[in-house]
Amino acid sequence: MRRAFADTLVQMARADDRIIFLTGDLGFQVFDAFCAEFPRRYLNVGVAEAHLVDCAAGLALEGWRPVVYSIASFLTGRAFEQLRLSVGYHQLPVIVAGAGGGYIYAPSGVTHHAKEDVALMSLIPGMTVTVPGDPTEMAELLPQLARLPGPSYIRVGRFGEPRLDSAEPIEVGRGRCVRPGRGVAVLTTGGAVIPAVKAVDSLAAEGIEPLLAHFHTVHPLDLSLVNAAAVVASTFIIVEEHGIKGGLYNTVAAWAAEQRSPVALKRLGPGDELVFGNPHYDDLLRQTGIEAGAIADTVRQFWSPD
Amino acid sequence: MDDVDFDDLRLRARRMRATCIRMAHDGREGHLKSTLSCIDLLLALYGTWLRVSPDDPRHPDRDRFLLSKGHGVTALYAALAEYGFMPPSLLDTYAQPGGALPNHACRHALPLLEISSGSLGHGLGMATGMAYGMELDGRGGRVAVLMSDGECNEGSVWESAMFAAARRLDRVVAIIDNNNMQAVGRNDEISGGMPLDDKFRAFGWAVRTIDGHDLPGIVATLRGLPFEPGKPSAIVARTVGGSGVSFMEDQMMWHYRSPSAEDVERALAELGVAPLHRATP
Repeated sequence: MRRAFADTLVQMARADDRIIFLTGDLGFQVFDAFCAEFPRRYLNVGVAEAHLVDCAAGLALEGWRPVVYSIASFLTGRAFEQLRLSVGYHQLPVIVAGAGGGYIYAPSGVTHHAKEDVALMSLIPGMTVTVPGDPTEMAELLPQLARLPGPSYIRVGRFGEPRLDSAEPIEVGRGRCVRPGRGVAVLTTGGAVIPAVKAVDSLAAEGIEPLLAHFHTVHPLDLSLVNAAAVVASTFIIVEEHGIKGGLYNTVAAWAAEQRSPVALKRLGPGDELVFGNPHYDDLLRQTGIEAGAIADTVRQFWSPD
Repeated sequence: MDDVDFDDLRLRARRMRATCIRMAHDGREGHLKSTLSCIDLLLALYGTWLRVSPDDPRHPDRDRFLLSKGHGVTALYAALAEYGFMPPSLLDTYAQPGGALPNHACRHALPLLEISSGSLGHGLGMATGMAYGMELDGRGGRVAVLMSDGECNEGSVWESAMFAAARRLDRVVAIIDNNNMQAVGRNDEISGGMPLDDKFRAFGWAVRTIDGHDLPGIVATLRGLPFEPGKPSAIVARTVGGSGVSFMEDQMMWHYRSPSAEDVERALAELGVAPLHRATP
């Protein structure tokens, strides 16, 4: 996905001469092609996230379309005030790209864990918050974000993720019904959609056919797809690589409360806790239930086709 | 500098102070200490240096002025009214709910402002982004940022100072209102005594330290910009908090306090000039 991000950025810069890229000293060799082709539109501002965002806001005030890039935990946390005020308050079209959102940097320790990036960005009024599930979604969503009138956040994954098998269109603000189904609906955001597809496809042999709805855009959430899922399913299993507060689960729970929906909510994902011990990323995902086997088991547990 | 009518500027300086004091009274919001200390700097900027016109305030080649110390906004409102960017009667609406002139600068309320401010340490970074964008666009305008010395406590100021020097943004000038007073303490004590001019110089800036109330000195300094080609410029302006009104000068309590009717009367008598606007029934 990181390759898709870098490649798409080059294409966007070719198509739109107002695109400018700012990095907080991250992305060794990843942006060489961009830098070679657009040296004046590539800025490494250094390990200075506050300045990174203020500077981008200044550029946006001059009519530029800045894309700012740094490690998700630092960018969304350390520069939160700059994002809230210089970008959010000023309602500027800055794309905030957080590399390694969730637990991609799991072995690097708590400093690099970003299980609250979606929550923080969702707190800023007018911020479109996206978590692509695969490189194709990254490539499709990024240029769309550059056409929005206001700010946006996009979580950038690692290198070499598998592609999601789905013909559903990829549009900002619109969920994707990846597998039709009934009884139980699996709702995902980000890379969790990949094990979810695997789980759902594996259950077909057992006659278990849950619906799989994927939300690359968490804010604003596509409530029409949530409502459609609630028509056919009595249980939602929400799978996300994000903390409990402020992510997809929280957003759907707020929807359910407002609707007085009878849908039961079950969540798979990291808890509200610090993760010590420098685990491998894949091991951590397994431990937190973001894994095909755990998802399939949970669907079985709640399966009732009527 | 024969082209500058300093008698006119000095009259305006007194009138702007009177205007700010009336606004602070009527709006019950003041920051008068920080407002009065930067009056002469704003006058020199708007009266003699900034290439920006009320007839076309968004001209793409204009000079940009950013008030980063957003709590000093009444001084900016007074300057904008003095120089025809808005009718003086608008000053009557200061700090009224829903009005164009809130007590911290808001671009949504008053679109002719370059930025909204109120939280310290953002203006310089935004100025550098604007300057870099203008450079890419081949524009000629300059970017002036008015900051407070207390604001330089913020780490983000130094992140931005580093960037401005690295990118050789010599169209940027940071003007620091060095009144040596913060909300509850003295700037030099809080910041460890190292002078601001040395700090900016160490970050690769070209720096001048001046008397921030000496109008001819300020004007001459502005005319020397940029001080060195290829370097951003900083002007450390030594000022007095509450300057121009004897009982407010260098008094910490005037950071927050709004003046009583008696305070206003006494201050206006000292200044010997009526505010630009009427208000106060």
